[in-house]
Amino acid sequence: MKNARVDVWTLVLAVSVGVIGVLLVWPLTSIFAASVIDNRTGDLTLDNYVRVLTRPFFQTAMLNSLIVGVGGMLGALLLGIPLAVLTTRYVIAGRQFLSTLAVLALVSPPFIGAYAWIMMLGRNGFIRLGLESIGIEVPSIYGFFGIILVFSLKFYPFVFLLTASSLGTINPSIEEAAEGLGARPWRRLFQITLPLVFPAISAAALLTFVLSIADFGTPSIVGGNVRVLATTAYNLFNSEMGGNPGLASATSVVLIAMSLVVVALQRYAVRRRNVAGALIRRPVPRRLGRLASVVAHVVCYSIVLVSSLPSLVVIYMSFRKTSGPVFQPGLSLDSYAKIIREVPHVIGNSATYSFIAVALIVIVGTGIGYLLARRETVLTGALDGAFVIPFVMPGVVLGLAYVVTFNVPPLELTGTATIIVLMLFIRRLPYTVRSSVSILKQIKGSLEEAAISLGAGPAQAFLKITLPLMLPGIVAGGLMSFITAINELSSSLILYVGRTMTMPVRIYLSVLDGEFGTAAALATILLFASGLAVYLIFRVSGRNESAFV
Amino acid sequence: MARLDIQNIRKSYPGVTALDDISLAIKSGEFFTLLGPSGCGKTTLLRTVAGFNSHDSGEILVDGGRIDNVPAHRRNIGMVYQDYAVFPHMSVEDNVGFGLVTRKTPKAEIAERVARALALVQLGGLEARLPYELSGGQQQRVALARAMVINPRILLMDEPLSNLDAKLRVGLRDEIRDLQRSLGITTLYVTHDQEEALVISDRICIMERGRVHQVGSPHDVYARPATLFVASFVGAMNVFRDIAVGPGGEVRLGSAAVALAGLAGRSRVTLSIRPEDVTIGGSPAGEGPALRLEATLRKVTYAGRDALYRVEGSGFAPLLVHLYRPDTARLAEVDTRLTVTLPVRCLHAFDATDERRIDLRP
Ligand SMILES: Nc1ncnc2c1ncn2[C@@H]1O[C@H](COP(=O)(O)OP(=O)(O)OP(=O)(O)O)[C@@H](O)[C@H]1O
Ligand SMILES: [Mg+2]
Repeated sequence: MKNARVDVWTLVLAVSVGVIGVLLVWPLTSIFAASVIDNRTGDLTLDNYVRVLTRPFFQTAMLNSLIVGVGGMLGALLLGIPLAVLTTRYVIAGRQFLSTLAVLALVSPPFIGAYAWIMMLGRNGFIRLGLESIGIEVPSIYGFFGIILVFSLKFYPFVFLLTASSLGTINPSIEEAAEGLGARPWRRLFQITLPLVFPAISAAALLTFVLSIADFGTPSIVGGNVRVLATTAYNLFNSEMGGNPGLASATSVVLIAMSLVVVALQRYAVRRRNVAGALIRRPVPRRLGRLASVVAHVVCYSIVLVSSLPSLVVIYMSFRKTSGPVFQPGLSLDSYAKIIREVPHVIGNSATYSFIAVALIVIVGTGIGYLLARRETVLTGALDGAFVIPFVMPGVVLGLAYVVTFNVPPLELTGTATIIVLMLFIRRLPYTVRSSVSILKQIKGSLEEAAISLGAGPAQAFLKITLPLMLPGIVAGGLMSFITAINELSSSLILYVGRTMTMPVRIYLSVLDGEFGTAAALATILLFASGLAVYLIFRVSGRNESAFV
Repeated sequence: MARLDIQNIRKSYPGVTALDDISLAIKSGEFFTLLGPSGCGKTTLLRTVAGFNSHDSGEILVDGGRIDNVPAHRRNIGMVYQDYAVFPHMSVEDNVGFGLVTRKTPKAEIAERVARALALVQLGGLEARLPYELSGGQQQRVALARAMVINPRILLMDEPLSNLDAKLRVGLRDEIRDLQRSLGITTLYVTHDQEEALVISDRICIMERGRVHQVGSPHDVYARPATLFVASFVGAMNVFRDIAVGPGGEVRLGSAAVALAGLAGRSRVTLSIRPEDVTIGGSPAGEGPALRLEATLRKVTYAGRDALYRVEGSGFAPLLVHLYRPDTARLAEVDTRLTVTLPVRCLHAFDATDERRIDLRP
């Protein structure tokens, strides 16, 4: 007899497959279907793809996406790697302070950064005016320069955190051996240290590239006339309701394909690199000579402080006096009064949706994570594969897919709060699943078995033994999900109606309308909520910065 | 206390047969040990009994009732793990009481039984400690108390001593044995340490690559190994492979020859003898026939209570001779020539091809 038994986890598996099927596979299929169907005749056609791939209009967008993706990635690597190497290998005063600021830069939404840079370097930006008064010309913030600047300063913390944590696990004997063999510091860095952390660096590079080409808010705020695929898909779709769903869908599929190619490239690049060794001693930071030390400190602090600048500017601006959309000298709470008067429901919406989504994510994500970690079957393997999808599916695309799928029966959800919650849920779910899998791998399976042999059912064993041990990790993951949920812009922008508007959407619209005061006040509230979550994560996870990546 | 019958259990993983038609009958109250090299399927069998592995075919019965279709948590089988598996977030008391709480035992009774179990494993007074405040040995005692306090029908232990240091291992080994005797719990114990198996068990099952080689008392297994594998795995053994046999059962090692009636009619045989059965010098009086070999001493390993000689001669494989309580002054020098005596009654014979025991004294 094969004793495959039915227990709670079979039920959880069924539910998870259902959730993934309805919320992920179906929308993805719909958008793919929409891309191969003629809008007017309803016939099967490859026309949309032919147009996307041959028309200069789309070719330019594709090229632009590639440029900002590679640019954002390179910029992030350029800032993140030196910061990681310097803070882990050498004595840098205030390392904790630096990494806290980096984490804070990480959790603030990129479009806030974009808009703050406009206030600094835009046509009337105070830094531009300041520099011009001493005769320095700054290139226009609008266009590639602005987009890549914002991406680099926004995404470098991923590179920094991933690389630093990998650097912390290299056996110091390896680097000492290289030194003993006569390798000078630079040679050691490039021939030994960096190759050893290549898997982490390439994972970070992949992440920053995917995030850069997926980002919608930044190019549409500081892009000027640089159109990328994400903004193009949005505009095609939005030009009038149902403007051109076929073309928008085809553009989306191309965008997904681009991300997938990069994911595949990265997997290929790290395929035979497993450098995890037995770690007997932890690396100890060395002291630098006086001059070198000064240079190292200047480099580290400049990177981190410049990347924190946008948040500081936004917070400061939110307290400036305003009259209408125009800032006046002096401080006041005008902007806050205005948002409480005009858009209180937006703050409520953001909080409510995020909380509900996070609650769902935590419950479902923990359950699925458990299945993947502890019950390996063909089905769980497929489930694991399905979780790559949201990772390569930009918000704009997911938003479009949801509109295409859920604006008709059997599940007519467009215009409801439900669809926004579900979208937030599915976007962050894979991250929580991944993190619960890795938490579970550190909890020995024998614990739960011992409980079962003592008479606890599978559900009871999980609730009494495994869950309490997972809790700190789950809470940290939940808070991280909360940060991303409350800052989510692109898919909400497609799915919202007046009633269900969220803070990021309102901020985006205010920026477009030139209502900088309102935008700054709302953005400050967002920053504050995210910062609070960061603080709580540090509390539960004992200052473990890797909780953020 | 219960009888455990394992019938025709098979289990394969892709590329390996972990359990190849295993059948065992374990008596009520017996201390039964699975012994075998790493990867032979001991853990797989144990976990199948516990209900954590699915098996491909076969049945498991406790007191005649099938349990292989009962979920693990209703089998009432206690389990002790190599890595202790003590719940890290619960006190000693809560760990031990866990199984009683799931059984909805009244509070007062839980307290009483937990206290008794902790006294039994000599952990009285540590009730409130958390696992990280305990040594490895103490954690394993908690696990033991936790498994026994529920009065399981069967107690399973998977290498419970292998994470402990040598001294502690011997101490706890004897304690486990005494406890099991006094409570009379049917116990299925896994180890790859042959000495531990010999000391602790009522009966031992020796496994290799998913198959059972022999089931028997420690003495049976040591003195009458059923296969060459058992002979060499349990204790030390000098092996002379693939020796020609004369028509009347004559075998020759070096210059010595002897006729063994039990081998008559065979053409080749593998012989073996334990180092402690070999003696140095002439024949001990009245001990029957023996093979006397001329050899050269190549190496002396002195270990206090014992010493080992490694000797070589022509026409037979090098062999070890065990000397009990050697007199240091009289230990021979390397390269001296000496005579070693292999009493015929101590020889083991195995079929040269299937390596099964051949009885020399039917
Ligand atoms: N989940 C699994 N998937 C595939 N093969 C497995 C699995 N579990 C065990 N095996 C294989 O089954 C065989 C028996 O393994 P088992 O763990 O029972 O050995 P063991 O006798 O307990 O060894 P050890 O003394 O090392 O604990 C081994 O060849 C092992 O590689
Ligand atoms: Mg084992």
